[in-house]
Amino acid sequence: MSNRPVMSRLIYLFVLLLIVFSCKHDEGEYHSVIDRIEAESENYHGTSISSEKYIEGIETIEITEGGHTFLIPERKGQIKLYACTECHTKPLSKMQSKDVKKAHWDIKLAHANKNTMNCITCHNPDNMNSLKSLTGSDIDFNRSYNVCNQCHTKQFEDWKGGAHGKRIGGWAPPRASMTCVNCHNPHKPHFESRWPARFNTQKVKERE
Amino acid sequence: MSSENKKWFSLNLGRKKTEIFGSCGCGKTSGGCGGASSTDQISNEDFDREVLAAIGEERKKDGFDQVFNVKMDRRTAFKKLTASLAIGAGAISTSCSVISGDDTKEKAQIDWEEQFKGNYKLMTPEEKGATVERLVRSYQLRTGKTISMSSKNAEEDVLFGYAFNISKCQGYMDCVSACVEENNQDRDSQMQYIRIHEMKDGKGFNFNEADDNYYHEVPAEGHFYMGTQCFHCDNPPCVEVCPVQATWREDDGLVVVDYDWCVGCRYCMAACPYDGRRFNWSKPEVPETEVNKNQHYLGNRMRKKGVMEKCTFCVQRSRAGKNPACVEACPTGARIFGNLLDPDSTIRWVLENKKVFRLKEDLGTEPKFWYFMD
Ligand code: SF4
Ligand code: SF4
Repeated sequence: MSNRPVMSRLIYLFVLLLIVFSCKHDEGEYHSVIDRIEAESENYHGTSISSEKYIEGIETIEITEGGHTFLIPERKGQIKLYACTECHTKPLSKMQSKDVKKAHWDIKLAHANKNTMNCITCHNPDNMNSLKSLTGSDIDFNRSYNVCNQCHTKQFEDWKGGAHGKRIGGWAPPRASMTCVNCHNPHKPHFESRWPARFNTQKVKERE
Repeated sequence: MSSENKKWFSLNLGRKKTEIFGSCGCGKTSGGCGGASSTDQISNEDFDREVLAAIGEERKKDGFDQVFNVKMDRRTAFKKLTASLAIGAGAISTSCSVISGDDTKEKAQIDWEEQFKGNYKLMTPEEKGATVERLVRSYQLRTGKTISMSSKNAEEDVLFGYAFNISKCQGYMDCVSACVEENNQDRDSQMQYIRIHEMKDGKGFNFNEADDNYYHEVPAEGHFYMGTQCFHCDNPPCVEVCPVQATWREDDGLVVVDYDWCVGCRYCMAACPYDGRRFNWSKPEVPETEVNKNQHYLGNRMRKKGVMEKCTFCVQRSRAGKNPACVEACPTGARIFGNLLDPDSTIRWVLENKKVFRLKEDLGTEPKFWYFMD
């Protein structure tokens, strides 16, 4: 008879232990790595690691777009013949004569179709030193991404967040990212097909 | 199991204390695992005297405690000593010889100390520094070239993560090339940490039908590409199975291997569900001119035959703030790397704003490598 209370007490104890231990996880006590990231980044104070020294030699400008502030390479200094007005001293129509040396002959536009785009969709014939928006306002060469993002809105979103494009330097702050024209030739923006950088020659031998 | 019929010799790793630890399968960097116990010990003074007589001054060297500060019976003690002395015999004879040059002596001294160093995971920062210094010096003595090797530990508030954009990958394999060069992988066996799988459109992620060794212009019509490598699981099964704890997860999430502690059993290779590990079946060969001299103990330092290796997210680069070589080499921007604990990092933006997934998520391995599409 006196066994009863002992039994029930044991059961209570068992249930109690079950409650106490059932929620316990091993190693770090997190359900998943996402939980771990959320918990551990709550009081994130930054680290001592910086990519500053990897971007030292590169001239950059700081931009803020949609709540993201980061660096992109300065562009004008990279354009061989900037400022454009050094050659484009006269209106375009006057420069297309026979006695002026031919320029830009190597540029073949392969960007959208002829109905959609031609040179003056992005270039301003009245101000060669600047790009222009679809509505005709000037866009600085250093911020040429503003030309691209008029059509490529999805890519622009991803680029701002960091899902599209490439970082310069390293993963550590400050963030420096390539701008559109660092990877895409604006006159021919697609990536060419080519042979892979390396072959597994051992496997090639096995195949032959 | 009672300690008397234990078939293996357990070390009291990195602990001066002699109390017995329970077995623990922890994957933590800090703290010690393993235990040692034995009855029928020789007295401490006796043991000290034997050791002093046999190897004298060497006793003070780091790593020594991990191997010798273990109570054992007289027979095991002598067995251990003779075995070790056989290995170090060359070292001793050259270092005591009057004829051999200073370099040879120093080389022997280094070999001796390296032979008795402990598990890297349990070393103090000073010991880590010392072993790295020895390895650098030894390389210098052997080849006349100077390398730089780091023993930089994981940083606070850093957890590395990786994202891979399947829509962007074109199969160019620039990442594979960069990885092989960066990490001093064996050129003879064409070891590659990264595999790029060419998959047929409309077949999904079918790894059985994927072509991993394509040999034509890319991207091929009707195909897409995706890369795999070690995913640095947060709950890594490879770590759990290692019988000697030669592989572990560092505090910044990198799963690493101590090439000098690995016994080459390949359990971890079998345990990895992602084909993330590579084994050195032969002595890895890298042409002297192609050796990457910026090294890390846990990363791209030269390996030897019979040890396991794998992607380390380029620990020598990532802990210095750089991106892994594959991320830097990718011309399409398909690879994104960063600190998962930094709420403003680009990797966090990807995880929070793109539809990401991981491979074999149901296994609970918690890879820190996410895939997504545009
Ligand atoms: S991918 Fe494989 S080798 Fe890498 S941590 Fe996970 S289980 Fe280990
Ligand atoms: S091969 Fe090396 S790292 Fe892998 S389980 Fe065996 S000892 Fe551990």
